[in-house]
Amino acid sequence: MPFISKDWRSPGEAWVKTDEGWEKKKVLENCKAIKAESSDEETMEAAEAEQAMQPHCQITIKCTKEIAGFNELDEVVKRLDFRSAVKDVRRFNYICALLDLLIGQQMTALSGCAQKALLAMLEEVASHVTKSHHNPRGFRRLLTKLRAVSVAEKSSCWGGPLGSQLLWDQHSIKINKILKMAAQMQICEPDSHPQLLQLPEECIREIILRLSDHRDLAASAQACETMANIVDEQRVWRELTKFHFNPQQIELALNKESFNGDWKVIFNSLKRTYGLSEERQYAEMLSLCKYCRCLFWRSLGHPCIADQCPEFRARLQEAGGLTPPSPVPPSAFLKFFSL
Amino acid sequence: MPQIKLQSSDGETFAVDVEIAKCSVTIKTMLEDLGMDEEEEEVVPLPNVNSAILKKVIQWATYHKDDPPPPEDDENKEKRTDDISSWDADFLKVDQGTLFELILAANYLDIKGLLDVTCKTVANMIKGKAPEEIRKTFNIKNDFTASEEEQVRKENEWCEEK
Repeated sequence: MPFISKDWRSPGEAWVKTDEGWEKKKVLENCKAIKAESSDEETMEAAEAEQAMQPHCQITIKCTKEIAGFNELDEVVKRLDFRSAVKDVRRFNYICALLDLLIGQQMTALSGCAQKALLAMLEEVASHVTKSHHNPRGFRRLLTKLRAVSVAEKSSCWGGPLGSQLLWDQHSIKINKILKMAAQMQICEPDSHPQLLQLPEECIREIILRLSDHRDLAASAQACETMANIVDEQRVWRELTKFHFNPQQIELALNKESFNGDWKVIFNSLKRTYGLSEERQYAEMLSLCKYCRCLFWRSLGHPCIADQCPEFRARLQEAGGLTPPSPVPPSAFLKFFSL
Repeated sequence: MPQIKLQSSDGETFAVDVEIAKCSVTIKTMLEDLGMDEEEEEVVPLPNVNSAILKKVIQWATYHKDDPPPPEDDENKEKRTDDISSWDADFLKVDQGTLFELILAANYLDIKGLLDVTCKTVANMIKGKAPEEIRKTFNIKNDFTASEEEQVRKENEWCEEK
């Protein structure tokens, strides 16, 4: 339904009904999942829009007070299609990290729309995790925070939440739904053949060598003897150390410590000194294109002005070549908004 | 394009482009060693791979035939378990048995890319789980005695701290 603004000057906007209420059409252009089931004609339209555009979002980089009103978290979340990103194994961790930062004290300070978008994302994560059992540890962390929020909110201001009572009631329903989903999560034992322990040891080793989190290594060591023996091998810890830290750091640690040949010790001390770097943990991050000020998922790309306009590209080349888009870790992403 | 015939353990033969078959180092070295003539209709028996799995392996190899060759093996290779392309992720939405058979086939045929992506998928199933959950996921019996379990737990206690 076209909508004409009150003073007849602006072109107005088309509004589309989705599962979450009404949305401006330009927000919906970039997302796949939200659209409610409707008439054929509309779905066709959506399909066209999907083909035309990958999720991307223009953004004002310096978030001053004046700009803050225009950088809206919920709009960005919708435009970048975070909800279907949850199902992509490469982007799942990034979304979880982002939710982890947002849920907590900050959540109640967000706008109502953003809160809704956040809970919708969390619900998507919950349904994905309960179905596929993917990374329950991260999910549990989110749940603990969520519980804390809902408890804190109940007692925050004379026994009631701040802001809209109605909104918070909706939130509590959703939070309860998510907690219920989590409680019902159950891993059933597979009866297919062959099983993990029937693989030759070199295959199990290959699998364990691909774990990049020391906690996962510890957990698999505690699962059974075969895995414990493999995790005990020096190679596993040496490769883990080399994955997380750069050669200089390792060199320094090797010289400093009275190195007794135990890479587990080295890893531990390096972890305490430097911490684990954030960037290594995500297979895919949001990126920021310097030319069109555009946030996008690296693997999906975005319509860049440098690609569309050959003259501009030539000028850039003259000016010293194209700079690649810079990665945006979750904490940097939140800095775009006045949070 | 020259073709080669691969025979699975249950007797089914598959005609495959030689270039695709050569992503398996096992087949590649065999062809080089034997010096196969192109006119010859030789059948290569693969007694360790059944037809269902061989079909999947060929499907994977066909899709990835134009991939750049993997970098030389050094110890600091990519470890990120979740770095799986969406095609591969869809391709590997199979039951555990099939997944493990694919690992065995990739190991036997020496196809690095396939071994890598299947192992990553299994590693992803381990990720973020508690020991008890890992046992459940893979139907593993707890073969530790109580004291052994306590010892392993103690050894790994430092991992829990944040």
